[in-house]
Amino acid sequence: MIQPLTDAKPYTLTPGSNGVIETQTLEVSIGPQHPSTHGVFRMDCVLDGEAVVALKPVMGYLHRNHEQLAERMAWLGSMPYTDRLDYFNSMTNNWAYALAVEKLAGIKVPDRAEYIRVIMSELTRLLNHSCVIGFMLQDLGAWGTPLLYAFRERERILDLFEAVSGSRMMCNYMRFGGVRVNMTDANLATAKDIATRFPRFLDEFEKLLTNNEVLLARTQRVGILPKELAINAGISGPMARASGVDYDLRKVDKYGVYGRLDFRVPLGDVGDVYDRYYIRVLEMRESIKILQQALRDIPQGPHVAPEVKLRNFKIPPADGYGRIEGPKGELGFYLVSDEGGKQPYRYHVRPPSFINLTILEDMCVGHKVADVVVILGSVDIVLGEVDR
Amino acid sequence: MGFIGKGLFEGMVVTARNFVGSYFDKERLVTVQYPEERVQVPENSRTFPFLVFDADKDPIGTMRCVACKICEVECPPQCIYIVMDRDEKGKPQQRPKVFDIDISVCMQCQICVEVCPFDAIKMDNNYEKSQYGRFNELVEHLPELLKSNEYYNKIKPTEATIVDAKLKADAEKKAKKAAPAAAKPAAAAPKTVAPATPKLAPAAAPMARVAIPDDAPFTPEQRQWLSEYLAAVAGSGGTGVAPAAAAPVAGTPVAQAAAAAPAGNWPWHDPALGMQQRLDLAKGTPIADKLMAAMAQTDCHACGFDCRGYADAIATGAEPDLSLCLPGEAETANMLKKLMQEAGKL
Repeated sequence: MIQPLTDAKPYTLTPGSNGVIETQTLEVSIGPQHPSTHGVFRMDCVLDGEAVVALKPVMGYLHRNHEQLAERMAWLGSMPYTDRLDYFNSMTNNWAYALAVEKLAGIKVPDRAEYIRVIMSELTRLLNHSCVIGFMLQDLGAWGTPLLYAFRERERILDLFEAVSGSRMMCNYMRFGGVRVNMTDANLATAKDIATRFPRFLDEFEKLLTNNEVLLARTQRVGILPKELAINAGISGPMARASGVDYDLRKVDKYGVYGRLDFRVPLGDVGDVYDRYYIRVLEMRESIKILQQALRDIPQGPHVAPEVKLRNFKIPPADGYGRIEGPKGELGFYLVSDEGGKQPYRYHVRPPSFINLTILEDMCVGHKVADVVVILGSVDIVLGEVDR
Repeated sequence: MGFIGKGLFEGMVVTARNFVGSYFDKERLVTVQYPEERVQVPENSRTFPFLVFDADKDPIGTMRCVACKICEVECPPQCIYIVMDRDEKGKPQQRPKVFDIDISVCMQCQICVEVCPFDAIKMDNNYEKSQYGRFNELVEHLPELLKSNEYYNKIKPTEATIVDAKLKADAEKKAKKAAPAAAKPAAAAPKTVAPATPKLAPAAAPMARVAIPDDAPFTPEQRQWLSEYLAAVAGSGGTGVAPAAAAPVAGTPVAQAAAAAPAGNWPWHDPALGMQQRLDLAKGTPIADKLMAAMAQTDCHACGFDCRGYADAIATGAEPDLSLCLPGEAETANMLKKLMQEAGKL
């Protein structure tokens, strides 16, 4: 049972004894069926006039029992379910899960597979960031235009995903020890084409947005997340980096072949909504750099470790945590294998958007209610991942 | 910074360029007027699974599925339901009687395709599957699921060519393997069978020569009838006794031994036989052979081994789980338990 935040009394306009109109705070429930909440998510706001006094995020409307389901089926069986966590980034979700299992089972991934994974995950980052910016501007009132420009580019990437993995969004592409099917030369040429075109789109996108006075007025100094709070609350991904926290798992863990690739980690200094917008643009530019290097260096060879069995895959009792830098932040899988080892004994997901959402109140208090939706948009949530 | 509103103005230029450009530049006009126009889906694209059969004349007889139930077990959302076909005597027929896929549950993950050892189930790329109803209309049954190999070759040429080549190579390998086994006198062959019953060994020898090749175009019934016929002819020294009289269906161990000869050196290694017949054939053999005889003999690898390997693994204690034989269902699991108890190993 959800307790109301205030004992809201009827709103009266009767002047008090001192002649001033007594006002009361008003509790407004935004969502769960509200377009600005990016899915079924509710914000319990307490408003004083237009200003936000308190805000409580209410989650769980999209709970699908992901973790329990995974504990009841074979290791491979939960791979297609990870697609449905953050349905924008199925490739990176696959990778995080595969990485955790590989760590647990001690599987060595062939070089070509590692490069394919890098290519796929950087393409995912491109499509996620461009669309997130589109969605955020949609919340600001820029109906359609930036979002559809982003979708137009995203479509090229999704076409490549479909040609390689068979599905546009629910890719189910990674396997323990590699990837399911090899990328052909034609696929690599398409990826190269996307990598050369994308900067042009980004320039256009930036021209449309970066110096736009309306965007600047609505986003600068709005929803500031201080660096200390970002660290203490465990915020990760572009949100943390926008607040100036130098934390990128691609640099920290150097998982996959990121150690061999040359790229920089952009950092923001204010930590407001505008920084969160611009950090994503900069990250996309770095992603293109990574893509070009990976496409240049990709070696020939097997795309999956040959010793890994598809069926009757067993892991001796162990536990381990595998994490990657997803487009939304640190995506981790904590897995425990016990006797028998046919399925996980414990399966836990550390979803970035869920943890990034916990500081929503700290960012929103003091701002106008219209800013709340923009701040939420800049957090970049996907409810499939928040609720699991 | 220039004048106030410069950013806005620049943005407007971008939108104007896109708007005007959409009339001239194909790149900027991306809308496809479905259903008048359709996007060509890539070859790898997948929607829902279908079952492959080889010959148009006889879809049921030539379907590749042997009802081993691996896909049913591995399917993450559990949307596949299989019942193995059995004749009136209860013998498994190595093909499904019921094969249902609930496409309202199916999440198009392709895991059934990946785990199938027989290349029997493949992904379709037909995305126009809407129905007026929500319940029975969305459950696909065997007749709708069966599609020809030509269709598979049409929608996924690259993949299908590889699969066809692999199946052909497998069939050739099997035929080659069966040939020396048939040529060898059976008396030498049952090395693994150990003390074969004296009645069995000499009789099996001549029969093995008239083995039916594995890729011969027979349905399991025809195959069984033929092998029994040949066995009867050979067993009676070629005197031409009427087959029906000489080899009743649940015939003597002699007749059955011949029926199994092409598949390997184990007379019971024939999925067309019933459980009791197989066990009769394995009478007096070591425990591993008896265990093997209790299995469904499809070599489907559902347990992670072939039938021989699983029996050996159980006998040596390497595999403690007795319930891994999916096609054998509870019958096999119970029998394995019984055999192990009889042998005092449980």
